[in-house]
Amino acid sequence: MPPPSGSPRPEPQKPILSVAGLSIALRGRGRETSLVQDVSFSLSEGRTLCLVGESGCGKSLTSLAIMGLLASPPLEITRGEILFEGRDLRALSARDRADLRGDRMTMIFQEPMTSLNPAFTIGDQIAEAVMRHKGGTAEEARAKALEMLKRVRIPAAEKRLDEYPHQLSGGMRQRIMIAMALVNGPRLLIADEPTTALDVTIQAQILSLVRRLQQETGSAMLLITHDLGVVAEVADEVAVMYAGRIVERASVKDIFDDPQHPYTIGLMGSLPSLSGREERLATIPGSVPAPERMPKGCRFAPRCPFCIPACTEAQPPLLEVAPGHEAACIRAPLEQHVTEAA
Amino acid sequence: MLSFIGRRILIAIPTVILVSIFVFTLQKLLPGDPILVLAGEERDPQVIELLRAKYHLNDPLPIQYLAWAGQALQGNLGVSLRTGVPVMQLIKDKLPVTLQLAAMAMCFALLIGIPAGVMAAVRKGSAWDYGATALALWGLSIPNFFLGILLIFLISVQLNWLPASGYVPLSESVSQNLKTMIMPAFVLGNALAASMMRHTRSAMLGVLRQDYVRTARAKGLLEPRVILKHALRNALIPVVTIGTLLFGELLAGAVLTEQIFTIPGFGKLIVDAVFNRDYSVVQGVVLCTAVGYIALNLLADVLYVVLNPRLRTR
Ligand SMILES: Nc1ncnc2c1ncn2[C@@H]1O[C@H](COP(=O)(O)OP(=O)(O)OP(=O)(O)O)[C@@H](O)[C@H]1O
Ligand code: SF4
Ligand SMILES: [Mg+2]
Repeated sequence: MPPPSGSPRPEPQKPILSVAGLSIALRGRGRETSLVQDVSFSLSEGRTLCLVGESGCGKSLTSLAIMGLLASPPLEITRGEILFEGRDLRALSARDRADLRGDRMTMIFQEPMTSLNPAFTIGDQIAEAVMRHKGGTAEEARAKALEMLKRVRIPAAEKRLDEYPHQLSGGMRQRIMIAMALVNGPRLLIADEPTTALDVTIQAQILSLVRRLQQETGSAMLLITHDLGVVAEVADEVAVMYAGRIVERASVKDIFDDPQHPYTIGLMGSLPSLSGREERLATIPGSVPAPERMPKGCRFAPRCPFCIPACTEAQPPLLEVAPGHEAACIRAPLEQHVTEAA
Repeated sequence: MLSFIGRRILIAIPTVILVSIFVFTLQKLLPGDPILVLAGEERDPQVIELLRAKYHLNDPLPIQYLAWAGQALQGNLGVSLRTGVPVMQLIKDKLPVTLQLAAMAMCFALLIGIPAGVMAAVRKGSAWDYGATALALWGLSIPNFFLGILLIFLISVQLNWLPASGYVPLSESVSQNLKTMIMPAFVLGNALAASMMRHTRSAMLGVLRQDYVRTARAKGLLEPRVILKHALRNALIPVVTIGTLLFGELLAGAVLTEQIFTIPGFGKLIVDAVFNRDYSVVQGVVLCTAVGYIALNLLADVLYVVLNPRLRTR
């Protein structure tokens, strides 16, 4: 039986971004701590992929690695491939990567309060991005910056051009960051928890602004968030991360209708108990293991209500459990166990 | 902004008054009677009395102070008790020499210290960083007189490249003047270059960690622009402030450096005046120096605000 509301989406076009086997480690004093392991996903033109997971699971590191902005040293990509518009980013020269950054691929950061340079005006900082990639005169760049400020709905845009970041609120600063990220019409926008640091009241505004501009410019978006409400609203695809690994990957519909990994299920706040009834869970009990003390087997095992001895022996690989739906759990799909137990 | 500067100047005024009282009182407490120096061998009591009256030395101290301060405000710091030359004239003659020396030393310190500090921060932990840090430690710990004598021995005596002394005024010959000033300026600026390097390095290290530097890179800017525009512009705020304050220290160091290289500047004026118990000259010079320090402090405060948009636009 076909899924009820399976609106026939056009078959995903060619991927604009594809990440394969990405691993990131912290190197220092002869030690290497793995922070992100074997992350793979791909994102098609104009689509939105949400990367979800608890704080510290490696979402920002993954997105910084794609942008080529990892603080290296001490952070380093140890393995993997990042293809952007068919080009292997890791093989590009620093100069070629810089040419892409801020132009074809851009990023909005988690920290709007500190992401703008306090010493330069808003106008300067946006115009600088234009001039770096599109050339032209300072006046043209300024006009472009002004137009962009209007598009991100900054009131009194003209006046704001000559103001400094400290004169603006957090929400306004994030709008500036959005303007800066979209002024050159990128093909890929990475938004790393763009609303987490903001007041609840303006989170929705900023999110719908990002969403609207993304659609207007037709760029693909990698949106990092831990708000499942946001995921449900904007995502086409979802990748769930836990402790540096992707544990589940599926379309947004499948993630919500049919989550397969116990961590994803826990994230949803409801876990099918073994008695078959549904129980509300505010949080998943326990905490994420520290990067230096990762369990040998499934990283979720210490917190997983479905854990069996086999889980602690080897890391479960990310396997397809249904077409277009992958999970890294040796017991997936879970329903059969739940129903068997009942 | 202007009101800030105005307020800052108002705060400086009581400090200047206090300093002037201090300078005046100190003079009175110093041993040795200048009148005895002036009166010559015979020490004729009548002459002494006349001199005392002439210099108001019989009036009560507060009256003496007010008279002195009133004159000082009009730019009259009295005359040298020894030579009769107006103190203001002496200062006008000697100060530019010292200011030139200090300015050259400062340029040298900035030209060496800031680039070296930037490089050390950008290449933190590299051979360059350790080398620059070690050199800075050497620069800070080597005494001026030792470095001065060492250079005179090596460059003047052994290699005969630059003269060890024989100051030529700038107005007479620029090239000759620079030849005699370059070594003293290096000696004087050496320690300052080292501390500028250290301050620049630590300020840059702090700034390079900031999110806005990452934003600059995310825009696709190339590393030289990220570092020289986005990072350095912020790192310079504390460095410029500290540099202004250290300029005062430079003037103090100039006294010794001028002695080593026999440059007839402010330092020589002070030393000679002290040895001759030339009260009015010492008073004038000390007052002038103190006011200079206060002005530098004021300038440092103002620069800090001017360079810092967060404080400038409020
Ligand atoms: N510069 C760094 N040096 C050392 N460890 C780091 C560094 N940056 C990140 N980490 C570690 O890497 C892990 C993943 O960090 P990351 O910032 O990617 O998490 P995140 O998923 O974005 O979390 P959040 O939701 O809080 O933003 C964390 O355990 C963090 O402590
Ligand atoms: S592999 Fe085992 S421990 Fe890991 S999530 Fe699946 S059931 Fe839980
Ligand atoms: Mg993050």
